[in-house]
Amino acid sequence: MADLRFTGIGKRFGGVRALDGVDGHVDEGEILGLVGPNGSGKSTLINVLSGHYAADDGSITYGEANLTDLPPHRIIETGLARTYQIPRPFSTMTALENVSVPFMFGANPLSPQTARESAMEWLAFTGLDSLANEPIDSLNLHQLKYLELARALAARPKLLFLDEVLSGLNPTEITASIEMVRRIHSSGITIVIVEHLVRVVTELASRIMVLDRGKVIADGDPTLVMQDDAVVTAYLGKRSKRAEG
Amino acid sequence: MTTTNRNTSLITLAFALVLWFMPSVRETLDFPVFFLLFGYSLFFWIAQASSWNTFTGFSGYFSFGQGAFFGAGVYSVAVLAVKRDWPLLFTFLVGGLVAAVIGLIIGVVVFRLRKLRGEIFALMTLAVAFVMASVARVSPAIDGGQGVPVNTVELPEFLGDFPTMIFRLGLIVATFAVITAQSVQRSRLGWGLFSIRDDEDVAETLGVPTFRFKITALLLTAFIAGISGAIHSLQIGYVTIEDVFSIRVPLFVILMSILGGTKHWMGPVVGAVVVVTLNDRLNRAGFQEISDLITGGLLILMIVAVKEGLYLRMRARPLRTAVGFTAGLVIGFALGALDESLITLVAYGLGIAVLAVMLPLSWFARSEPAVTDDVEEVASHG
Amino acid sequence: MSLMSQSIASGILIGGLYALMSLGMSLNWGVLKIINLAHFSFILLSAYVTYQLASVYGWDPFLAIIVTVPLFALGGMALQWAFERFRISEFESLLLTFGLFIIFESLATSVWSADFRRIDSAANPYASSSLTIGPISLSIPTLSAFVLAIGIAFGTRYLLEQTHFGRAVRALAHDREIAGAFGVNHRTVSMQLAGLAGAYAALAGVFIAMSSSLFPGIAVEWFGIVFSVVILGGLGSTMGTLLAGVIIGTVGAIATVVWGPSTAPLVVFLILIATLLFKPDGLLGAKGGI
Ligand SMILES: Nc1ncnc2c1ncn2[C@@H]1O[C@H](COP(=O)(O)OP(=O)(O)OP(=O)(O)O)[C@@H](O)[C@H]1O
Ligand SMILES: [Mg+2]
Repeated sequence: MADLRFTGIGKRFGGVRALDGVDGHVDEGEILGLVGPNGSGKSTLINVLSGHYAADDGSITYGEANLTDLPPHRIIETGLARTYQIPRPFSTMTALENVSVPFMFGANPLSPQTARESAMEWLAFTGLDSLANEPIDSLNLHQLKYLELARALAARPKLLFLDEVLSGLNPTEITASIEMVRRIHSSGITIVIVEHLVRVVTELASRIMVLDRGKVIADGDPTLVMQDDAVVTAYLGKRSKRAEG
Repeated sequence: MTTTNRNTSLITLAFALVLWFMPSVRETLDFPVFFLLFGYSLFFWIAQASSWNTFTGFSGYFSFGQGAFFGAGVYSVAVLAVKRDWPLLFTFLVGGLVAAVIGLIIGVVVFRLRKLRGEIFALMTLAVAFVMASVARVSPAIDGGQGVPVNTVELPEFLGDFPTMIFRLGLIVATFAVITAQSVQRSRLGWGLFSIRDDEDVAETLGVPTFRFKITALLLTAFIAGISGAIHSLQIGYVTIEDVFSIRVPLFVILMSILGGTKHWMGPVVGAVVVVTLNDRLNRAGFQEISDLITGGLLILMIVAVKEGLYLRMRARPLRTAVGFTAGLVIGFALGALDESLITLVAYGLGIAVLAVMLPLSWFARSEPAVTDDVEEVASHG
Repeated sequence: MSLMSQSIASGILIGGLYALMSLGMSLNWGVLKIINLAHFSFILLSAYVTYQLASVYGWDPFLAIIVTVPLFALGGMALQWAFERFRISEFESLLLTFGLFIIFESLATSVWSADFRRIDSAANPYASSSLTIGPISLSIPTLSAFVLAIGIAFGTRYLLEQTHFGRAVRALAHDREIAGAFGVNHRTVSMQLAGLAGAYAALAGVFIAMSSSLFPGIAVEWFGIVFSVVILGGLGSTMGTLLAGVIIGTVGAIATVVWGPSTAPLVVFLILIATLLFKPDGLLGAKGGI
């Protein structure tokens, strides 16, 4: 049973409590939607679970492995990978080289040569193959987000965190991307997806977890959760306020 | 980024093998002994610059510690071979190991700090050289402020006369340094270091064992710089703290690597050849006074105007490089450079070629694309 | 014992000079994100100019301030202008000013030679004069530098905390883009601040010329002390720098008495390592910063 479980996760930035006692789990094979208003801590939760930040409090286990004090480069070996909301490519490498790096590390490291060949497959999967040998600064934001995705997949994850990979796309592109996420999922990868677009989340997710100001305020079946009072005031309430202003 | 493969290292090795026999054919080909000493000077700086670049250029962590590693090598020979009569060749190895241990200590202390910023690392490495100098100065067992005459040490006879010996020792270390740089660049270690240079946090979450890789690269750098320094103690003759721990070694190593380019193993090699050759000729022509001015000025110029370094520029503009070099040779020949020495002639070629590739790209922009195509065609025919 | 108390007193005073040398460096680094090795060159050149004015033209060394301060304030501003113009990163600044440092050192060598230079005692009555309190005697140049350093540290603190300029500087130190959004013209503000740092370097140079011998290589020897003070004090922290200068000066003096003069750099270095390990934000922590 390779389920991800986390309890009592806390993370502060100076005076800001980005995460405040967050408990939760990700079951093998599901697509979990992680939602919440801006600044509610979604990205921070991904950062903590993937080891990018060390948590101030709490513990994380993935299957048998205790991730709490594992150095970040060991966490990816257990099968967790993530994308960055704001793309962070390796800026002096080409697109292909970016995607080949994770192949050279992790649980089954490949030689740089074979890594390049395997990287090409994921570039093709995300439709970036024609840009393989381009320098990073010739890619636009949309392409950079796909590069994030290809690079995360190159880590050969069992569980993949997607932090707003679909934001900023037009409706046709979104439909195509939803299809892409489904294909990733059906290849046997568990997915946690963060997305502001309700349509995307409800279409994809089999369960939804809602964060507000660093706390979990709801967790469960998508349709039920989205009607929950607390969620409506916290999440939708803010959105309607934003629409006014 | 550009790749390098195993063949590159075989070619390097073959090239080194040819050079190995230079001293044997010197009398037949009738070239002066000075060529061997000049050759050694090239090898020494190639080894130092390549080793520095293997850590700093590839990982992006700026090190001023080259002087410390070099100095550890020099003083290992001074203390062990001169004062304690250990076998000379063995002390070379010890010099490398002592430097490596110092690198290990710096690395373990500094890289444990996860929040550490690159600039602080740079200053720490600078401080280490100062501290080693002051330790050597207070401790009579090392130096005590008097200096140590390494020229009294007995040289192993089977290595030939002094110029031959130093030429070959330098060649071995330079070859080792260059092949190490090549191997790192094409290995997982190299890719890990490049990703650290670009974004260390992302590298770590993608599975790069950043701590281990930084330490490994720093160890390689220190070890090579130490051996090279140990051998160089013979060339110095009388070693003093002021000379050995001066800012000169880190300064030149940084200059050479930045000049040639830090992203490719070839960068420091190109930088070392250009700087050593031009510096040597300028000094010979009586311009010692302004050589520091030129050094400092070049460093500034490269950072402001040619961030990728000469080597990548030259590769991107092969025609300009070739034309510049040839023009330099012709000008040098016309000015009678060959009467002085072949090295002077080459210096003209290098100097003009460097100027040609450094000129703003836009000056040549219109004619360049067509020309580049030509070159590629010629290359594919040849 | 009186040797010890004398050393401690001198150490505290010399610490004031260290703080004066370091303050501009700290502001440059903490606020402008420029590691300015040319700061050392400014101190060196200011010292040489003072030497020149006093020894050759017979000026009172204190008077040299009216030449060196404006000169190096302008120098600082000009450099900052160039950094902005060429978009120099924090890292590149270290290298670029390393190049400048080499150039200035070789200029100093060609003008004043590599020999030791010291203002003639006839032209520098302060060097041998001292203030005696009980068993302790305090040299006038170092004492003045100490008093000035305290004045400048508090003055700078006032400037940064109480004035409009100071608010702009703090906004800049915190976040350049947000500062811009609030109407802070970062180019003007950063040039002014760099000018201030240059002026501090000039002052430090004047006092160095009054109290010690000069040679071009001396500037490298300051690296260890100044960087230790800057890091121990915390980047951009005025009070931290003053305190750190006094601590380093005192500890160095004690080490000299107890273990001999060449151990002082070692002790300073150990303090530096300890700071980096346990207090990476400096003595007064992040809150001590501006
Ligand atoms: N590196 C950081 N430094 C300081 N504060 C941070 C940092 N990262 C996040 N925060 C703060 O933590 C809180 C949670 O941020 P987080 O990015 O996790 O929110 P989010 O739910 O992903 O928001 P969004 O929908 O806008 O992406 C915010 O108040 C944010 O300002
Ligand atoms: Mg987010």
